[in-house]
Amino acid sequence: MNTCMANLGKLDWQAGMGFTAHGVRVGVRATDASVMGEIEARLPTGWKPRANPLVDHLASLVVGDRERKGNVRKLHVVYSGAIRAFRSTQLEEALNFLEHHLEEFVAQEAPDRIFVHAGVVAWKGRAIVIPGSSHSGKTSLVTALLAAGATYYSDEFAVLDERGRVHPYLRPLRIRDTDDLGRRVTAAEMGARSGRGSLPVGLVASTRYEPGARWRPRRLSHGESTLELLSHTVPARFRPRQVMRVLDAAARPAFGLKGRRGEAAEVAGSLLEAME
Amino acid sequence: MKRKAESAMKTAASRAGGAVRPRARRARLIVRRLPEETLVYDLDTSRAHCLGPVAAAVWRHCDGRSSAERIATVVRKETGAEVGEAAVMVAVDRLSEAKLLSAPLPPAGRSRREWLKQAAMITGLTVVSITAPLSVEAATCVANCATRPNTPAGNCGAIPCCPPATGRCCRQGSGQNCGCRTSGSCTA
Repeated sequence: MNTCMANLGKLDWQAGMGFTAHGVRVGVRATDASVMGEIEARLPTGWKPRANPLVDHLASLVVGDRERKGNVRKLHVVYSGAIRAFRSTQLEEALNFLEHHLEEFVAQEAPDRIFVHAGVVAWKGRAIVIPGSSHSGKTSLVTALLAAGATYYSDEFAVLDERGRVHPYLRPLRIRDTDDLGRRVTAAEMGARSGRGSLPVGLVASTRYEPGARWRPRRLSHGESTLELLSHTVPARFRPRQVMRVLDAAARPAFGLKGRRGEAAEVAGSLLEAME
Repeated sequence: MKRKAESAMKTAASRAGGAVRPRARRARLIVRRLPEETLVYDLDTSRAHCLGPVAAAVWRHCDGRSSAERIATVVRKETGAEVGEAAVMVAVDRLSEAKLLSAPLPPAGRSRREWLKQAAMITGLTVVSITAPLSVEAATCVANCATRPNTPAGNCGAIPCCPPATGRCCRQGSGQNCGCRTSGSCTA
């Protein structure tokens, strides 16, 4: 154990827990037991509690002062291992950072799954995968596809197994209206069904929202579709051999479309028609 | 007049192409052959390339001994495409730019433009390249970059900034404050 970690260990940790998500073992601890419920609500989708204290990664939350006390205010600080990763006067911000940090760690380290930043819905037994970074309009398009009758799989990650099949990552959709963090809405609250099993990819739709743009996509080859997925793959540089194998398998039964789009509702119908 | 120009062009291309005996790079590459294309991941540059069928066939036959003319003959037989020396030189040029040859090509001057003109109708010569993302680049974006603390690595996390801000959340100057940098990397 290094000195920083040892010093961090000396703090008064009031509560902690271990969990496994997608084969990654993670521990979380906090200096205030009352925040554990909020931490639990933010753990990566599919997490299971873990009794064994041995973990691959330890994240820590030092809870500061919730209100100003005189001139001094202790900040809320998130540690990734021994590294101070984030601090804020707002507990909510620290919790959101912790959530994001744990999710990205699992996405990067999951040994048998490849995480691609993408929205995913199912239509007639095959998946429509919409790779894209934040604010590219993934969630809007997923929402429009759900409204058109598709089944929800994810608005954040396409989780691919060794055969290139997509598994559900059923976290609530994060719909951004004015708040950048977004409000969370479950698929059920939107009147949509959520997927259960794995599916082959049917369509890779690479698109970005541009006000007023018309959807005139060009067809992507198998190799180009694979590159589109690779551009948004979390462990692309860490496990390139496995990534290439899995993405090739995912894109093999699929076809790809790429283009700018206008309003999501206008494109959703075209995508579902293309899957017929 | 037109025939004379064509003949001169062919001679120039032949002279330049004949001197080139490209050798494909094999080390530190992950190669996956798809039914029509070939995917190559470069472990040195973290770049991935998708080679069209003709470009892939040319790359496979760059053995350091065969001339462009010889490669054209083999690729023509293999792919059935009307591949001439000019098409091979275009492919070799693109492969060289993608750093998929063991040595860079010597400067070819005007003839390279002529090859492009001559090979304009040949499909399958494409070499599409992307840079594999860092996990933070594939990650979601950071709002309010300016309120983030600097990280021990000194780069404020280097996570993309959320719109309406653009760029990446980087350390500002030599201080400890973070801000969105729109060009260059966080370490620059």
